[in-house]
Amino acid sequence: MPTITIDGERYEVDGDQNLLSACLAQGINLPYFCWHPAMGSVGACRQCAVIEYKDADDQRGRLVMSCMTPVKDGGIYSVTAESAREFRGGIIEDLMTNHPHDCPVCEEGGECHLQDMTEMTGHTSRRYRGKKRTHRNQYLGPFINHEMNRCIACYRCTRFYRDYAGGDDLQPLGRNNQVYFGRQRDGMLENGFSGNLVEVCPTGVFTDKTFSQHFVRKWDLQTAPSICEHCAVGCNTAPGAREAGNGRDAILRRVVNLYNRNINGYFLCDRGRFGYDYVNCDARIKKVLAKRRERIISSTAADGDRVHEEIPPRQAVQRLAQRLDEALKGRRRLLGIGSPRSSLENNYALRQLVGAESFYSGLNQRDLELLHLIDRIQCDDRIHSPTTPEIERADAVLILGEDLDNTAPRIALAVRQAARNRQKQQAADLKIPLWQDASVRQLRGDHSPIIFAGTELSGLGDIASATLFESPEQVALFADAIARLIEGADPALITLQGEARELAMRAADLLAAAAQPLIISGCGSRHGDIIRGAGRISAAIAEKSAMPCALYLACPEANSLGITQLCDPQQGALEQLALQLQATGGDDRPVSLLVLENDLYRRADRETLEAIFSRTGEVILLDSLLNDTARRADLIFPAAATAESQGTFVNSNALAQRYYAVYEGVGFIQESWRWLADAAGFCRQKSAAVSMVAGWRHSTDLTEAISREFPQLRDLAELGPDEDYRIDGLKVARQSHRYSGRTAVRAKAWVAESAPHQDPDAPMAFSMEGIQSPGKTPLQANIWSPGWNSNQSIFKFQEGIGGARKGANGGVRLRRHSQRMPDWAMPALASAERTATQSQLQALPLYRLFGSDELSARAAAIASVIDKPFVTLNAHDATAFSIRAGDSVALEINADQFRMEARLSATQPAGTIGVPYGIPQLETLSPLLPGVATLSRPEPEFATESGDDQ
Amino acid sequence: MPTFQLTKPLTKNIGPQNIAADIDCYLGNGGYRGWRKALGMPPDNIVKLVQDSGLRGRGGAGFNTGLKWSFVPRGEGSPAVKYLVCNADEMEPGTFKDRLLMERDPHLLIEGMAIAAYAIEARTAYIFIRGEYHLAAERLERAIAEARDQGLLGANIQGGDYSLEIYLHRSAGNYICGEETALLNALEGRRAIPRAKPPFPQVSGLWGKPTVVNNVETFCNIPHLIEMGADWYKGLGRGEDAGSKLFGVSGRVKNPGTWELPMGTPVREIIEQHAGGLQDGLKLKGFLPGGGSTDFLGPEHLDLPMDYDVIGKAGSRMGTGTIIVLDDRTCPVGLVLNLSQFFARESCGWCTPCRDGLPWVVEILQRIEKGHGLPEDLELLREQAARMGPGNTFCALAPGAAEPIQSALKLFEQDFIDHITKGCCPFL
Repeated sequence: MPTITIDGERYEVDGDQNLLSACLAQGINLPYFCWHPAMGSVGACRQCAVIEYKDADDQRGRLVMSCMTPVKDGGIYSVTAESAREFRGGIIEDLMTNHPHDCPVCEEGGECHLQDMTEMTGHTSRRYRGKKRTHRNQYLGPFINHEMNRCIACYRCTRFYRDYAGGDDLQPLGRNNQVYFGRQRDGMLENGFSGNLVEVCPTGVFTDKTFSQHFVRKWDLQTAPSICEHCAVGCNTAPGAREAGNGRDAILRRVVNLYNRNINGYFLCDRGRFGYDYVNCDARIKKVLAKRRERIISSTAADGDRVHEEIPPRQAVQRLAQRLDEALKGRRRLLGIGSPRSSLENNYALRQLVGAESFYSGLNQRDLELLHLIDRIQCDDRIHSPTTPEIERADAVLILGEDLDNTAPRIALAVRQAARNRQKQQAADLKIPLWQDASVRQLRGDHSPIIFAGTELSGLGDIASATLFESPEQVALFADAIARLIEGADPALITLQGEARELAMRAADLLAAAAQPLIISGCGSRHGDIIRGAGRISAAIAEKSAMPCALYLACPEANSLGITQLCDPQQGALEQLALQLQATGGDDRPVSLLVLENDLYRRADRETLEAIFSRTGEVILLDSLLNDTARRADLIFPAAATAESQGTFVNSNALAQRYYAVYEGVGFIQESWRWLADAAGFCRQKSAAVSMVAGWRHSTDLTEAISREFPQLRDLAELGPDEDYRIDGLKVARQSHRYSGRTAVRAKAWVAESAPHQDPDAPMAFSMEGIQSPGKTPLQANIWSPGWNSNQSIFKFQEGIGGARKGANGGVRLRRHSQRMPDWAMPALASAERTATQSQLQALPLYRLFGSDELSARAAAIASVIDKPFVTLNAHDATAFSIRAGDSVALEINADQFRMEARLSATQPAGTIGVPYGIPQLETLSPLLPGVATLSRPEPEFATESGDDQ
Repeated sequence: MPTFQLTKPLTKNIGPQNIAADIDCYLGNGGYRGWRKALGMPPDNIVKLVQDSGLRGRGGAGFNTGLKWSFVPRGEGSPAVKYLVCNADEMEPGTFKDRLLMERDPHLLIEGMAIAAYAIEARTAYIFIRGEYHLAAERLERAIAEARDQGLLGANIQGGDYSLEIYLHRSAGNYICGEETALLNALEGRRAIPRAKPPFPQVSGLWGKPTVVNNVETFCNIPHLIEMGADWYKGLGRGEDAGSKLFGVSGRVKNPGTWELPMGTPVREIIEQHAGGLQDGLKLKGFLPGGGSTDFLGPEHLDLPMDYDVIGKAGSRMGTGTIIVLDDRTCPVGLVLNLSQFFARESCGWCTPCRDGLPWVVEILQRIEKGHGLPEDLELLREQAARMGPGNTFCALAPGAAEPIQSALKLFEQDFIDHITKGCCPFL
């Protein structure tokens, strides 16, 4: 490692870094704007100037931009030299000539990098006497505010948006000091990572519009480490909430990125950043609800729907306890349905209460089998489930049936970086350091190969080197062919034809030759053969290279792989529950069904659900939002959302991560497991299992119980400390040391300071008291360091710039039995017959960043941009069926009918149609995909009627 | 070999009438002989010849042209695609030399480019021309077509293996495009901002391929240089530097214009003989030797020869060799303000000292010129000029813009002070 001298002190530094990184890594405060640890240097702002000396005799030195200067062994530099300080002060003074003095009303104030850097340079008084230039701001959609007058033209926004995230509708426009960062015209930013502009922008040009709706200063937010619940990638987040006051309930205010090098790094997707607001939506269940006894004469409720009234929680808990008692006495059947969007702890509690044999996953047969298949393939020692940095290093990528930008967005962003590896190699050959971003990006080399086969590719189309749009069956055959080619099969035996054949041969060659090949697939196509094909390819590559091959299998939900661990294969699907309920011949005991955080209408078809509900005397629901299942529920308990509770999710990488409560839910909201434990506590006679549930006091009690019961989860207890843990005798403070209004906020009612609520689950306080420093513990999610109020300060808590967060364990991997897949079943043969008829169309799911996820779709801003129901047809099929783009069509599938708008697509495979998965009005369609559907133009009568409605 | 002594190779085809020599006329005057000769030479020999001749880039920086070419990977194993680009984005204030060459003798440029392209083994060349140069663009388009018709450009030139296409690209207009990497960005359809170096264009330039960018006048030197040889070329200069050059004078002189003169011609000779001296009743107060982005020199420098290094030692730059004369009745603050407004407007907006510093300079100069200046403004101006110094900014635009400011503050400080103390412009 090179040794350099900075202001007389000697430091050992990383030779692959630039001087700015080296200084920051050593804890030297050096101001900067355009440099970003994930995006490198471009030398635009000139803020990080230092003096470089030729040798020990050189007294004057030369001003250099530290971000553009490679560290040189034996180099002598000065950060504090008067000339360097003067220059840096001058740069700030230049930048501030046009910057408005609106910090008090600017939402960046208090976490503004420009404020911090201005302070750091010591620039205080203004000498510029001219007018400031002003800009018109743009409407950029419901997520992002635009206030261009504050811009200091560091170019970070467009570098992130265009260079890093592949967007093209935000750009630098104009020139000189009129340079404008915006769109050609007003409109929503199209890229799904636009929210990162809020954190990338060093000042208040781009701010979080959803946060504006309920703004408080950063220092008035209480926070804790959390995990994003809107997909299975498992990004780490730092949600911020403000406690109740001024007549407002405590609400969740925003989500910002919480650095985790191996998963999200510095960036989140827009679903993850803006989806939090579902917690505050009107459909939120805050009180205990029960079916009204009296008959309602007139109601908008459909047949079978319940009408609810609020009841005291104690009454509800006792009623649940009574059901438990009856069940223990054998007079009632108690069945539990878990959920892939709820924590391991909640699912385990329900499973414990009803018994493993009466616990169901809450998934349909198909989805559950896919998850078990993924779980099984990941146990193969030839398969390695890659981290985000590993994905970014891949030099050849094959994506099978997974529209990553919509199903695992953060992974898509990582794949986008992998596309640059050829360019980076070219830079390395030219001896250009990789942090020299402007230099590296102007090497206009080819992208690294990224081959996609599937139904739809939303975001990566611009970097994909080859695409094959085909039905899932064909994609499976394509994957199988690649696997066999890599295994050494005679190409003559490959039955694929035409373009697919040629691409399979090319893909096999590329993957076999790659140093770090990566295969990506997942549940997106809901087709096991594709996943098996991906597994077989990876295994074949591993056999050749004698090294495990990277295979990323995307799961659909935050805890999909977690719930899979709690259910045995062959058991736990909703269809099995229906069958079992149907088959209980002599058993006429009443049935109570406990549904945990799950909307069954999104999971199973209508027949299955009717079979379940018609034989269920009572439905008891624990959930956070009113949904279709709630309409069938007799008793509803308000469940805590992720930000209001502690628990564990297992992500697609089989990594278990713990999230902590950011604040306490309002009303009677509490964790689902606590409702169950409360009910268990009221039971008169307790079985061993019920006693166990009744005895739980802390979230970690459950975590420990799980780790004892499930061998693959035995490391779970190492996820983090329990509630008794202390640092220097102190808990970790959720509120910042500057938290304001601590005594004033309730003063109109009561002047005495009330005691803070105690957190029974984590060693963290709902107050200002305790450890404030993120350097002392990774449990501190308020990233702050003296002089560094913005999230830029994260570098102070990393092992070197861009390294792991100090002290963080980063989650624990499941410890599954290593077992090779004995063989890979052959994919089902796809019918060669391609003539589509209108009544025999294969309906395939299309995923949407906004809308396909159940919870985030209820966040106000996201709800406002969700697409309306549509169906995508191949242009040829459309002509054959006389359907034009924009026509209103009826889609019939499994005897259910849906109205939607027809859209034409050049890539929709012939004979198939694409239907958005899970979006409002089509929720109940999602379990039927893929499936055979009939498309028709609705009867004119029907159309007129609906026309009148509008 | 011509028997007469050729001393004005750049302008020998240019007469008093505003017409361009067509190809017949050009060929009749010995045109394309250099190109035909070059086609028979190994490319390396051409590079070496140009290097030996001492030809220095006429765009302003004065870098040895042959040396620049030699950095392009050539021969076996070198990249198959390479580009040659002509920088015809002539926008330096006070400069109008390339325009003359392109409007009046477009074939000379084309011939020079063809030889250069052949030397670096490029098969595609672009002329990136200033958008306002309508006439030059029309005449170049016609000349390119004529050369193609004659088999001097296009596929298999003169029946050989070598093929070359030259395309004319009309700029949207931006001073920064004079910076070669900003030019390349603009040519690619990107924002015209300078690129980070390394990689240098010779290694990774246009669309990531090895590229050489030269000024119009530089190319125009090549045909005769090839034909007549390095020694002849060196002999053209009167002083240290080789060749002849277009020099120009603007300002309140009797006969402003541009003339081809030997390198090393003294400034006094250019201003007094060729430009006819200052208009009656005016005295020379100072001059910018090489365009708007060079330091002012004073009357004491009039006898210096126009050689790159001599002017450099005197504290300025030869730049484009087109002199702007400041007389004693013109307000130097107004002149510097005018130039600063130009540079502030033309800043690409990439780096802070230029983007935000120049408008501040303009704001101060405007106040001083209007009589609202403050005594502390001079210090502030000096500070700004220093902040825009070489190395402090991303490219050379701001350091160039700072040159007239910093030198005017030295040479004409009293004029600035007078503005401030009198509360008005004393030249009005």
